[in-house]
Order: sequence, then C-alpha cells, then structure tokens
Amino acid sequence: MPLLSVRNLSHTYSNGYKALHNISFDVEAGEFLVIIGLSGSGKSTLLRCLNRLIEPTEGQIILNGTDVTHISDASLRRHRASIGMIFQHFNLIPRHTVLSNVLYGTLGVTPTAGSIVGKFTQEQRARAMSALEVVGIPDKAQNRADALSGGQQQRVAIARALMQQPDLLLADEPVASLDPATSHSVMSYLEKINKDMGTTVICNLHFLSLVRQYASRVIALKGGHLVFNGQPHDITDEWFTTIYGEDAVEVEIR
Amino acid sequence: MRIIATLLDAILGSIVVSLITQIIVPELFEIAVPLWLSVGLFVAWLVASARPNASIGGLFLGMAPKAIPSAVRANLGWLAFSVAIVSGWIITEIAPLEFFSADGLQGAGRIFRDLFSPELGVVGEALNLMVETIFTALMATVVAVPLSFVLSFPAARNVMSDTTTKKSVYLGLRALLNIMRSMEPIIWAIIFSVWVGLGPFAGMLALVVHTVASLTKQYSEQIEDVDEGPIEAISATGATKLQVLWFAIVPQCVIPFLSFTIYRWDINVRMATIIGFVGGGGIGSKLIQYQNKGDYNEVGTYVILITLVVWILDVISARVREALR
Repeated sequence: MPLLSVRNLSHTYSNGYKALHNISFDVEAGEFLVIIGLSGSGKSTLLRCLNRLIEPTEGQIILNGTDVTHISDASLRRHRASIGMIFQHFNLIPRHTVLSNVLYGTLGVTPTAGSIVGKFTQEQRARAMSALEVVGIPDKAQNRADALSGGQQQRVAIARALMQQPDLLLADEPVASLDPATSHSVMSYLEKINKDMGTTVICNLHFLSLVRQYASRVIALKGGHLVFNGQPHDITDEWFTTIYGEDAVEVEIR
Repeated sequence: MRIIATLLDAILGSIVVSLITQIIVPELFEIAVPLWLSVGLFVAWLVASARPNASIGGLFLGMAPKAIPSAVRANLGWLAFSVAIVSGWIITEIAPLEFFSADGLQGAGRIFRDLFSPELGVVGEALNLMVETIFTALMATVVAVPLSFVLSFPAARNVMSDTTTKKSVYLGLRALLNIMRSMEPIIWAIIFSVWVGLGPFAGMLALVVHTVASLTKQYSEQIEDVDEGPIEAISATGATKLQVLWFAIVPQCVIPFLSFTIYRWDINVRMATIIGFVGGGGIGSKLIQYQNKGDYNEVGTYVILITLVVWILDVISARVREALR
C-alpha cells in the first residue's frame, strides 16, 4: 500500500480558475518525490491540497489508507500534524526565538490553553533542541528568528517540521529565495532527513540540476495537468521542451 | 444661445432642488438660496458632461438638440465651484472688516494681554485638575485596550472571511464601530454625565467608547495587513483556529498595537481637557467656568498649563513610538 495516494484530484479557485485537472499519482514510503513545472503550473496548489491548506474541489487524498478529503476538524488537525511543511519564505514567527519557533511544530498535539500560556513539556523542549542539532544550529536557539540569515531560517523551519515527527514532509520551493551555496545546504538537510530518518519528502523545485541530484522520482505539471511521472534521468531534452516550453533554456545551479 | 440654455438649465435645476427643500425642510430655504444655485449649476454641469445633447433649457428656447459647445461644458464645473465659494462666504458670515475693526483689535489685545499675564494663584488648583485629566485619559485607555483587542479579531476581514455567518458578524461590527466613532467624545460625555452624573467618571466612559471604536479599527486594519505565510505555517502544524490567532497573527501585531495605544492615550489626554466643558470632569470643567465669568487671567493659566502638558506628552509619545519601530 502506498503511503500517499492522490486520486483524480482537481482544484478550481473561487474566481473560476482551474489550477489542477484530474491529478493521480502514488507516493511510496521513503521516496524523495520532486514536483517540477513552470510558475503557475499548479505545484503549490497541489502541495497545499495534500494537507488541505487548500480544499480539493474533486478527488481524494489517501494517506496511510485513510481518505482525508472529508474528515472532521479534529481529524483534519491530526492529519496536518502528521505532515510537516516548509515554505519558500520560511514563514517563521518574527520576534520570537528560534527555540519557540521550533516548539510551535507541536501545536497540533498541544492543548490550546496550555500552549497559549507557553506550557511546553520538558520532553518537547529537549526534542526541539535535538531537532536544532539535526539542522546544525543548536547555538542559535535563543536568537530571534528574524535575525538569522535566509538559509538558517529555512533550517529552523525544517526543525519545526521535524518536531511533528512527520510521516511526510512537504517542501514548497524550499530554496527559491536562497543563493546557490545555501540551496545545496538546505537540500542536503532534506536529503539527510529522507535517508537517515526515512521520512518521505515531496518537494517543489525549479532547478533541474537540483532535481537530478536529489530526487528519487519526478512528476511534472503543466497548466494543471500531470504530464510526466518517472525517473530524473528520464527527463530528456524533448521532455524538457514539453514541460517548460519551446523558449526555455536549462539553467544549472552548482 | 447655448450659454443661455445652460443657464436656464441651472436656474431650472435650482428651482427644482429648492422646491423640494421648501417642502421637506422649509427652515433651510431662506438661508440657502445661493447654495441651490450652485447645486443647480453642478447638476447642469453633470448633465452636460454626461449627455451633451440633453438640455431642458434648450427645449424651452426651441433649439434643435445640438451639442453644447465644449468650452461651456468645460467651464461649468468652475462656475459651480465659484458659486459654491460665494454661497459659502455668505453662509459662514465671513466679515473681514470686523477682523480688522478698531473695536475688534482692541478686544483681541485685551484678551491676549490677560492670557499672557496668568493668575499664578490658581496654579495649584490647575495642576490638581490636570492630574485628574491625565488619569481620566489613562484609565479610559487601560479599560478600552482589552476590549479593542478582543473586538479587533472579529472586525478583521481576513479572520472573518471563511463563512457567511462570520462575514455578517464582521459587517455588523464594522457598522456599529463606525457609528460609535462618528459620535464625538463630547457628545458621549453629555450622555454619560446624565447617566452617571457630572465628573471624571462620565468623561472616562465617553473616552472609553470613542477609544474602543478607534482602536478596534486601527488594530483590525493591522490584522488585515499581516503576512499570510506564518498563518499557513502554523495551520500546517495542525493548530486550532485560536492557536493560529495567537501564534501567527498576534506576534506580527504586538508592536504596532503598542504604538497605536500610546498615541491614543496622547489623544485621550487632549480630549479629556475638552470634555470637561460639558461635565466630563478634569481641567476643562474649571476652565469653562472661568471663561464664563470672563476671568481671562485664570483662563490664561489653564491654557498655558494644558499647552505645556499636551506638548510634553506629544514629545514623549513620539519618542516612545520611534523607539518601538
């Protein structure tokens, strides 16, 4: 049984724009799946449908054998808590410390009242510190999150996602606002989490060179349709033109 | 010919508007004749710009529907504006001669002389009342802040946009706050001085109402301005709605909220000096008594003290708000 099954997923925005057309694919546990496609091809919408930050209009999302498309609010929160997510703009809470930001990864399993008065357990604090060690910045724990560099902020975001002890990690353009060197550092942390902890990763990416280096499988979206599903080395020049259009030239990031 | 037709339009328009007024509010008719002329001209201008061929005046003169010359059309707006200024001048009873008359200048000299030779005997009493005023403003702000904080979330569009029920609560709250805000604190002070009796408590309540209305609006606009990213990130951890408010929205708003609050206290001190005029306690209550008795030396002491305090608070609050950036 696949970890995640997406069945005939479609999404239409309230302004009538149809972002996703009948998308179906499976993800096996332990995969590093990369989604590619032009800006506006529906990658971000697809990712957000998986934890229902965006509601699918049609189709099913099946995680661990459970259809999560029509579940109660409480079950939806449990579903989201089992999926970590990182973003292009990191989306940390400004002015709060790095450690607090990492602890917020546990909000889904912490009672509302307790969390608001800042009652996190010793065990949670210890786990937050070890998550910061995984991403190599335990010394920044007491710094303000918005005082860190972009790459460090993204590592804090990864630590926050790790706090959820997720079955699945979603990454929406995680390196699109970082420079090339930092991009590789962030990607290698995702690779480490995938390889060492066995966490399944689904990641939206722009650069094919990164895709070839990190992906175990690739799917491609074009205009909201799934047009490719295969191995990174199967993306030939013809496929490249199909996915990115006639005028596109591949740019490499080393 | 066309100009005469347009003028006819204006006169007809004024007659229609003034006739309607005569029927609905006859008291207004007398004072406002020049006003009707400007309204009529303005209507004629609107009609002329929208439908160049439509002219009732033209029909009266038996003219074929033909475009009004563009020069006339372009200048009709200016004509309406000029008439409005002239009517304004008459209605406001502007009298420059009075401003510069010998009598007037003598009176001005007397009052300025008195104001600038303050009666020092009342300084202690004035300081006492000033303390009352400052604390009235402080208490009003302190009471209003938690109320505004709680109300600002249902008054923010981005928080209330997901269901129709929430949307209607949002719209209702916004309308209520707008009404509360359009009533000046001095009106609320009159209401509360009847309700709880004359004194600083009535003044405080008046300021509370106005402060809640204003701060809620400022707070909620700040909430509408927050970055959506952290909201997504916190929601993605499986957090409840309340946790999203507290962990993703509030941290982005704290500093601007503080800044608005300090500024509002500053404004409240100014308003607290005025609401004493109608029974809201504080320094204004005594100031209006001296003014009524014509004791301008005492009035001078009070005015100088108020100016000093307002100025000092203004500087302090600007400094604090600067430091908060």
